[in-house]
Amino acid sequence: MTLSDVKVNSYCVITKVDGAIKRRLLDMGFTPGSRLEVVGSAPFGSAVLIRIRGIEIALRESASKVISVEEIK
Amino acid sequence: MSLSFALVGNPNVGKTSLYNRLTRSTRHVGNWHGVTVDKAAKKAEYNGETVNIIDLPGLYSLTVYSSEEAVSRDEIMENKSDLIINVCDASNLARNLYLCLQIMELGRPVALAVNMMDELNKRGMDIDSDLLSGRLHIPVVTLSARYKLKTDTVLDPIRKYAKVVSYPELPYLKNLPLNKVRALLGENIKRCKLRESYVCIKVLERDEFILNTLQLSDSQKKAIDALGDFQTEVATQRYKYIETLLDGIYVKQKNMKTGARLSDKADKIILNKFLAIPIFILIMSGIFWITFGFIGGFFTDMLENGKDALAFAVYNGLSSTELPVWLNSLIAYGIIDSVGGVAVFLPQIIILFFFLAILEDSGYISRLAFMTDGMFGKIGLSGRAVFTMIMGLGCSATAVMTARGLEDEMMRKKTVVLTPFMSCSARLPVYTAIAGAFFTSGNVLIILGLYLLGAIVVIFSAALMQKSALKSGPASFIMEMPKYRLPTAERVLQIIGNNIKTFVVKVGSTVLMLSVVVWILSNFSIQSGFVQAGEGKSIMESFCTLIAPIFKPLGFGNWQAVTALISGLAAKEVVITTITSLGGVQSVFPDTLAAVCFMVYTLLYVPCAATLGAIKKEAGGKWMLFGLTMQLSVAYIVTFLIRIIVLSFDNGIFAGIISVAFCLALFISIYFAFDIFSKRRCVRCSGECLNCQ
Repeated sequence: MTLSDVKVNSYCVITKVDGAIKRRLLDMGFTPGSRLEVVGSAPFGSAVLIRIRGIEIALRESASKVISVEEIK
Repeated sequence: MSLSFALVGNPNVGKTSLYNRLTRSTRHVGNWHGVTVDKAAKKAEYNGETVNIIDLPGLYSLTVYSSEEAVSRDEIMENKSDLIINVCDASNLARNLYLCLQIMELGRPVALAVNMMDELNKRGMDIDSDLLSGRLHIPVVTLSARYKLKTDTVLDPIRKYAKVVSYPELPYLKNLPLNKVRALLGENIKRCKLRESYVCIKVLERDEFILNTLQLSDSQKKAIDALGDFQTEVATQRYKYIETLLDGIYVKQKNMKTGARLSDKADKIILNKFLAIPIFILIMSGIFWITFGFIGGFFTDMLENGKDALAFAVYNGLSSTELPVWLNSLIAYGIIDSVGGVAVFLPQIIILFFFLAILEDSGYISRLAFMTDGMFGKIGLSGRAVFTMIMGLGCSATAVMTARGLEDEMMRKKTVVLTPFMSCSARLPVYTAIAGAFFTSGNVLIILGLYLLGAIVVIFSAALMQKSALKSGPASFIMEMPKYRLPTAERVLQIIGNNIKTFVVKVGSTVLMLSVVVWILSNFSIQSGFVQAGEGKSIMESFCTLIAPIFKPLGFGNWQAVTALISGLAAKEVVITTITSLGGVQSVFPDTLAAVCFMVYTLLYVPCAATLGAIKKEAGGKWMLFGLTMQLSVAYIVTFLIRIIVLSFDNGIFAGIISVAFCLALFISIYFAFDIFSKRRCVRCSGECLNCQ
């Protein structure tokens, strides 16, 4: 599954990062094995707010679609 | 030669705040990404010697994605500074160190300055900087630039490391196939004039800048590709190393509860699906009401009465002296009454800028970018455009510069050209004076309507541009949400003081000078010298009477209004000083509708020369001219349609509704015309490909 499938207020671990913006995501800390929490989503859709390594980062759906994750409790 | 220290680090870690402290400057700061867009350098006094401090835009990695990040990368690459001070956020060392490691891969002298310690301490934690320093082999200082600090505390521990590369090779480099890459690059590697292992790492990361500099042959490129994709591996190696570096670095403070503070959890409410928009409306209405309704009402009325009395008294006083009549008139009405008329709005403008600064400093503005990104994305902009637009409520010229953070060039140019539609603070006196004269109770609503109209025009224009040849591609949107912060009392005073100073300087010089010039041109004619405006034919009157008929359909086709509009090209405040000195609001506008149409036109037509200059600098001359044409056309059309709608309502509700429906139909058809036309033009498909959706 990808990050875009994860519901708000749940946690997951990154398994893989693809796509044209892969390197940008990696630079920002979205590396395989990182834990993250989906904090919220934008009112009109399109962007999600993620907490990773203690900070909040907003991602567009196009970015969350290329991050493969595994849900954790 | 004095030593140079370059401040480098992630966006929004406090580099500019530290710079301001060290060099006693007042560069703009704000709690969002993209505040600093250019380089600045200034001298600072340290222990009797003079050192150079350089402030730079923030970046996450030495592989960059926008032009202002490139400014920082170039500064680091060109090795002109003696020591890089890598400023970090104490609560976010993991990601901050990612950049530090790259600087060490490159082999530059570097020291760590861990900022925002106060926030970390409030969360019950501290940092073992000695341990970190020992592991990294570079000096580590801790500080809080938010509060006053001594230059010594920052520079003492690190000064002796200038020009010194104090650290050994990073251990994870041996986990990467750098030798293979070096062998493939051969002689090309010398083109980069950088440490060879660094170049190899960047090649593994597919860094475009390095790859372009290397100018590899096709066979070399194929060989590099054949190595496989190492981007993930390089990033993972760095972060793994960072984890070992940070093990045990964060220590709990004695006697303190650790954990998230209220502000960390605030986003669950502020960005809650259902509460986000109501909260936004509440905040914006609050700001609006306090600025225009409450404070505006109280202070401005008081100052206005005082100003009127003063102008009157001065005129009478001067009449009994030997001064010529025209000079009396100039001083009392050309200057005191009209320029004074702008000065009375100082309280409102201060409040407006104060709230804008709070929006910036609190971190809420980033939440706005997050919330609006969905909508902006559909019209070819991005949530980041919110920063530029909100700054535009203060001053368009400075706002335009913040668009540099936008990665997509077309999007950046569009944002820049649309920013003037967001009503800047200089237009405020125009609205308040005119609305105040014609609407006793509804004036705040009218002003609110104007601001909303500006926003609607931005959205509609962007949507149209997105359906034309000016389409911008889908951009990525990765944005860090800063922590919620409140400005210190010192900062609040600084904000207020800065704005008072800027306002007084601008009004006291530019606005004053222009008002005098316009007054003279409007009250003197070439043949007969001083003529009361309106009686004879002054230079301005003769000229503007020729142009005035253009504006007859808009309801303000008289020479005074045209003079005011032309004078507004230099500075928007001069629009109202001109009107005041040419007879006042009530005499220039025949009726309320004309006044409203004039305000709408003022809202949308061309911005001041400073803004035009900024647009030219950021987007180029062609775009500036395109913007000019667009602004003038939009201003005319929208004003005209509003006039028609209101006049129709005069003929009854039914007629009014028909004309509103007509206008809506007009806009919808324009939109669809653009839509169909854009699909026809698409070279890839016939309306089915992703770009055309």
